[in-house]
Amino acid sequence: MKAFTAVLLIWTLTSPGSSGDGRREAWPTHLACREGGLEVLYQSCDPLQDFGFSMDQCSKQLKSNLNIRFGIILREDIKELFLDVALTAKGSSILNFSYPVCEEDQPKFSFCGRRKGEQIYFAGPVNNPGIDIPKGEYQVLLELYTGSHATVACANATIISF
Amino acid sequence: MAPDVSCFLLALLCSASFKVITSLDQMCIEKEANKTYNCENLGLREIPDTLPNTTEILEFSFNFLPTIQIRTFSRLLNLTFLDLTRCQINWIHENTFQSHCQLSTLVLTGNPLIFMAETALNGPKTLKHLFLIQTGISDLKFIPVHNLENLESLYLGSNQISSIKFPKDFPARNLKVLDFQNNAIHYLSREDMNSLEQATNLSLNFNSNDIKGIEPGAFNSTVFQSLNFGGAFNLSVIFSGLQNSTTQSLWLGSFEDTNDQDISSSMLQGLCEMSVESINLQKHYFSDFTSATFQCFTRLQELDLTAAHLKGLPPGIEGMNLLKKLVLNVNNFDQLCQIHAANFPSLTHLYIKGNRKRLHLGAGCLEKLENLQKLDLSHNDIEASDCCNLQLKNLSHLQSLNLSYNEPLGLQSQAFKECPRLEILDLAFTQLRVNAPRSPFQNLHFLKVLNLSHCFLDTSNQALLAGLPDLRHLDFRGNHFQDGTIPKTNLLQTVGSLEILILSSCDLLSIDRQALHSLGKMSHVDLSHNSLTCDSIDSLSHLKGLYLNLAANSIRIIPPRLLPVLSQQSTINLSQNPLDCTCSNVRFLTWYKENLQKLEGSEGTVCANPPSLRGVKLSDVELSCGMTATGIFFLIVFLFLLIILLIFVARYLLRWRYQHI
Repeated sequence: MKAFTAVLLIWTLTSPGSSGDGRREAWPTHLACREGGLEVLYQSCDPLQDFGFSMDQCSKQLKSNLNIRFGIILREDIKELFLDVALTAKGSSILNFSYPVCEEDQPKFSFCGRRKGEQIYFAGPVNNPGIDIPKGEYQVLLELYTGSHATVACANATIISF
Repeated sequence: MAPDVSCFLLALLCSASFKVITSLDQMCIEKEANKTYNCENLGLREIPDTLPNTTEILEFSFNFLPTIQIRTFSRLLNLTFLDLTRCQINWIHENTFQSHCQLSTLVLTGNPLIFMAETALNGPKTLKHLFLIQTGISDLKFIPVHNLENLESLYLGSNQISSIKFPKDFPARNLKVLDFQNNAIHYLSREDMNSLEQATNLSLNFNSNDIKGIEPGAFNSTVFQSLNFGGAFNLSVIFSGLQNSTTQSLWLGSFEDTNDQDISSSMLQGLCEMSVESINLQKHYFSDFTSATFQCFTRLQELDLTAAHLKGLPPGIEGMNLLKKLVLNVNNFDQLCQIHAANFPSLTHLYIKGNRKRLHLGAGCLEKLENLQKLDLSHNDIEASDCCNLQLKNLSHLQSLNLSYNEPLGLQSQAFKECPRLEILDLAFTQLRVNAPRSPFQNLHFLKVLNLSHCFLDTSNQALLAGLPDLRHLDFRGNHFQDGTIPKTNLLQTVGSLEILILSSCDLLSIDRQALHSLGKMSHVDLSHNSLTCDSIDSLSHLKGLYLNLAANSIRIIPPRLLPVLSQQSTINLSQNPLDCTCSNVRFLTWYKENLQKLEGSEGTVCANPPSLRGVKLSDVELSCGMTATGIFFLIVFLFLLIILLIFVARYLLRWRYQHI
């Protein structure tokens, strides 16, 4: 009897569609760059859509004011846009910060103020500080969200420095 | 056998039967019954049958409607707002909205439109807002002009438009907003602008268009509400093109990702030839920055120099007597005196926030600004051991002061004596050093709003809030009380006129029954994110009609004696509490269901106990703690048997006694 229950339980847990919430497959993992002893991988964690991202040069000695390329469809107006970054290594948190990208009294980038439904392609500098990345593997969670905390983009990134 | 039977009976009597009601999964989300529906991201190919005919506001973006025509929305006659963003619409056929008289907003952003029929937009009596952003339009003739007489805003951003010349019969009379953001407009001619002649007080947006030339006189004697040339490479072109124009506000800022020429004083000469009230020059570099730079700014009322790489403003600027509002956020000042405030004697609003260096306030740097009403000095790393009378000297008309997000400030008694007319004071996230029994806010007779959230205050100082006779709104979140308790005598007793009190995230364990007794006027109390239990509700018994937030506390059981206290309030939030859904809390659970209209956050108001009901919404729990019919039947049988037994025992005893007489 017990064995039967166990089998039934395993079957319900593993059978397709048993979770019932109809979650689609995860988005594929993309390579943002691999060069100079650095590898950056990312995966969209927005269940609604994927996005495209690349960095024009990458190395362990990350230069300041990097140029990036970024393509996405907006699901919200971005008059106000904020970026949250959470960096962890080996399961412990190293750094958390929040950065305003677009604000009503200071739209930093030319794409600020674009509207829901627009397709955005940004190729340009991001005004980051230069940094030397020590050897290791890092997990980074990046979230872009609006003033009303609606998700614009979400990325799970892995940075490997070797 | 006997104990078994009684256990069985007891179980029957006390059995609590519960039922969980789960609402059926609807495809669209109802935001307002029969009126507002959200059907976004569902991949729908038609309007679902479940939507009522009375729907007025429909968010239908990210679905699939390659063709829309007269039948598509024919059932929803009351539509006022229709969002069809990114529905892959190719065709809008004739008379699609024919019967939608009340439609006022139509959003078609991000659709690859191939063709719109001549009568595609006919029908709505007052179509006011039309969004055609990123629809591939390259020629303005693409837009059917019939029925646009009432149009107030037209959004045409991110298309391939190179000329803003509208067809002759385009009705621009009621147009207030015309947005050409991110197009390919390089030249503006007189003829282009003439097609907008009818419009008055128009807001025109040319942000992220690389304007290389404007025909002289194109903007001649036209009156605009606002003009936006954000990201323009060469501002001289804009200034010379805007000769003799009149506009309320002119946005000429730059961005991180745009290249532009440095601004020289001679470039700004063009401002003398036009009439502008408000100008924004964010993120520009100035090649020379002298008093001559401001020569043509004399009629200006508002100037925004956010992130303009400034180390100071030159002294001796003359004639800027009209300037009312000055924004100097995100610059590189060392000393507040470097802005030479005496240049702007009429200033009423001054914003210096997010300075890139630690800002030193100095002494009396703003003393010439006698008319200043609003001052924002937040996010500046300001540190002062004795604030703020020397620093804010002579600001006797100041009504609003923001010193939030700074380094520690030491406050003495009457720390704001120089600004006696303050109505709003924001000190959030700035550590305040106040020695007991000092009263730093003493004599702020007009102060209505005080934000002291996360100020690391010494809450045992009973005199901290003394001398605030008119205080209505106190934000005290994130401050800590000794032992997590607000005692009977506490610092809130001096602010009897309080209407809004926020004590969330204060690590509170309890509030004394008498603690809030002197606060009789309160209408909004936020006690969320503490560790309060139901006992603290007692402290609110003298208050009626409150908005009461008790979310994220440790409330498990609310005894019946406290229900009247809750009943007399107007809105209550009890979400994220470890609420008990057993029979010991049944009176509260019944009350909850009877008062659903008063309750906020019902999605997050769930049971924590018993384990079988963990996570179930309180409104879905049905508990019956009385006796069930079977219970009553068995009770009667049990009593009947008991009586028979007693009779037998009595007879036996009597017989026994008679036998032994």
